[in-house]
Amino acid sequence: MNLISGVDVTAGALNAQKLRLDIVAQNIANAETTRTAEGGPYQRQVVSFATELVKQQANNGGIPLQTVKVASITSDPTPGQKVYNPQHPDAGADGMVTMPNVNLAFEMVDLITASRAYEANLSVVKNAKQMAEKALEIGH
Amino acid sequence: MTPIGSVNPLSTSPLMRLDAASLSPEVAQPAAAGSASAAVPTDAFSAMLDHLVGDVTAKDAAATAATNQVLMGNSGQLHQSVIAMQEAGVAFSLMVQVRNKLVESYQELMRMQV
Repeated sequence: MNLISGVDVTAGALNAQKLRLDIVAQNIANAETTRTAEGGPYQRQVVSFATELVKQQANNGGIPLQTVKVASITSDPTPGQKVYNPQHPDAGADGMVTMPNVNLAFEMVDLITASRAYEANLSVVKNAKQMAEKALEIGH
Repeated sequence: MTPIGSVNPLSTSPLMRLDAASLSPEVAQPAAAGSASAAVPTDAFSAMLDHLVGDVTAKDAAATAATNQVLMGNSGQLHQSVIAMQEAGVAFSLMVQVRNKLVESYQELMRMQV
């Protein structure tokens, strides 16, 4: 992967944004989950990114390029909302159920941000390819 | 296997090879491919194209493998597959350009008045 230079960096970013989208999907899917393998309601997962050095290539003048990778997926520790629902199987003795700390509005914002970031990286790929094609047009 | 790197020697050495070949009388008789003396320039020319075609084929195979992985559900990296396909496309265009240039210089030589 080195004919269109810089695409390795973008591919890393695309991977990272896609994983972020997957985590948002997981959060939305589990917005009502009150029972998990660890016990208690589902905790919202948060993705954090870190830079990662791309393998140095000779064709970009040996300049080290940094791509992005998902550094960690951590649980959001904020406590979930308590809802009075005595019929719920996970309700406590006082009839209160602890719901997951997923806020759909936050998740939608994350979803749109991830999708826009993905699009931005795709336009980098598109432009890099167009530059390569323009260079090939020199011969015409 | 860097196509750009593999083309760099191509863009310089063919000229030198063709210069040397144009001095030798064998070039005037391209039909004499069977003779040992004519085999040297023919080899260099075909090796050049072989190398280039091999590079492009490898890129294409990589793109096909990535696409297959996505289609089989083994990888969710749709973008990797599409990027690999685009790379193969650019490598192919590069090969076509180099071929055009080689044919052009060959025809230029054939048109030369001796």
